[in-house]
Amino acid sequence: MPRYFDDVEMGEELGPLETTATDASVREFCEVWGTGSANRFTDHEAARKEGLTGAIVPGIMSMALLSQLLTQWADGGSVKKLDVVFRQLVPHNIPLRIVGVVTDKNQVAGENLVECDVYLETGQGDRMVGGKATLSLPRKE
Amino acid sequence: MATEQQLDFDRSQLGVEYPAGAFQVRKEDILRYCKAIAERAPVHTDEEAARAAGHPSLLAPPTFCAMFVRAMGRPDIRLTFGRTSFHAGEALEAHAPIYAGDTLSAATRLKEVYAKTGRSGTMAFIVWETSFTNQHGELVASVQESFVRRD
Amino acid sequence: MFIDMHCHSVSSDDSRATVEQYLKWVQVLRKRGHRVDGIVLTEHRKFDAGHDYSSLASQYGVVVLKGSELDTRYGHFLVYGVTDRLLRAVNFADVAMDAVELVRYARECGAIAVPAHPGRFGIGFIEYIDGGPDFSGVEIVEYLNGGSRRGENERGQELADQRKLLGIGGSDAHFVSAIATCMTEFPRAIHSEGELVEGLYAGQFRPVRLEETNHQSPG
Repeated sequence: MPRYFDDVEMGEELGPLETTATDASVREFCEVWGTGSANRFTDHEAARKEGLTGAIVPGIMSMALLSQLLTQWADGGSVKKLDVVFRQLVPHNIPLRIVGVVTDKNQVAGENLVECDVYLETGQGDRMVGGKATLSLPRKE
Repeated sequence: MATEQQLDFDRSQLGVEYPAGAFQVRKEDILRYCKAIAERAPVHTDEEAARAAGHPSLLAPPTFCAMFVRAMGRPDIRLTFGRTSFHAGEALEAHAPIYAGDTLSAATRLKEVYAKTGRSGTMAFIVWETSFTNQHGELVASVQESFVRRD
Repeated sequence: MFIDMHCHSVSSDDSRATVEQYLKWVQVLRKRGHRVDGIVLTEHRKFDAGHDYSSLASQYGVVVLKGSELDTRYGHFLVYGVTDRLLRAVNFADVAMDAVELVRYARECGAIAVPAHPGRFGIGFIEYIDGGPDFSGVEIVEYLNGGSRRGENERGQELADQRKLLGIGGSDAHFVSAIATCMTEFPRAIHSEGELVEGLYAGQFRPVRLEETNHQSPG
């Protein structure tokens, strides 16, 4: 069912979407990305050689996971902007929670825009990636 | 430690736009991308469903074009600060839909380089702006990437 | 009054929130029964002298003050009551400035400089306080910081207890929904940067979390 601009309220929560970036899913992502060979994203030993505790999730994969929360929530709408700050390295194989909250609503140049804060958190609620999204939603006739 | 004024890099590159290559949006890459992030929205995973929703072919997920940035031939800005680099941030603005079968041309420019301090000590931030245009000459996406260099 | 002493608008490189969006979010918090009276914009490595938020402040009924968060060689410092004289004396963009001098200059110029998130690993004031510079001019630290990771606020509070330093609280918000998660309660009304500095030098305040402000009558 489409999500209508009219029904959205400031403070409304998105998610949580629960997921895990596994060794296999990160490798798949990196192969599409063109970085499938052993590196800090795909190989724990290569990551440790760089002083990390293990392989990490690429920033643009974290961003893609955040956008998934938005596309699920904004059924019938579209993601206009997503602006993400990578605050901590995201390890593989841990439970991740993707959450969001509506922070603003505006009608600009005929578009019905909703702004959201979105976060990628550990299962304990520690925020590793934060972002701001702008979504365009349909209005009821 | 480095103040903004002291960072040593090739300042002549600030604001200069470079063509950064052409990229094919392949259906199989969209499908693998969706599999990797467990994206299940039919417009991104099922061509028939995408057509039924009014799209000419499979619709790329919102952040898909960020994948092309790694393959870009960017000039060396000759920044002498720091030994390791991480992705610090990414801002993507979608201007028009991107579809399987599109060919995107990219242009990139160095926006700014600056220093700040944090848990990792002094860091240098490098910010690039990239625009993607499709085969019809339509601007489809703008991407701003920030990288941090530190010891 | 409850004032968020530490937040960043889009004027800072790593924030994604506009001042108006913060003020709109304060209305959401008020509807939820929380009390938020003011915010202090503490942009990174700069002072936004040119920005005037007074009309937004009156539109939304929130006191909006301006300060700075400066990088120094001894961690980040919040500066309140920034004056033209201080701006001439200190290069706010210098990430390697001497914090001892900053504290002294600030006092001489009628302002005050306070270590931000003192317990933060790698960058907090606690990392520099032993065996180094003379920080006897520091009497207040921001030990309640909304951007802290696990254990960092506790480290800051322990430092404050040991050294008998006073504490303030600030959200360190970079995104809209983080505004006012941590604040400072003052017993007196504060409507200007000058009154804020007076309130800090008076020493009567305490750091509070947003949840502690619930169901208090305004006044």
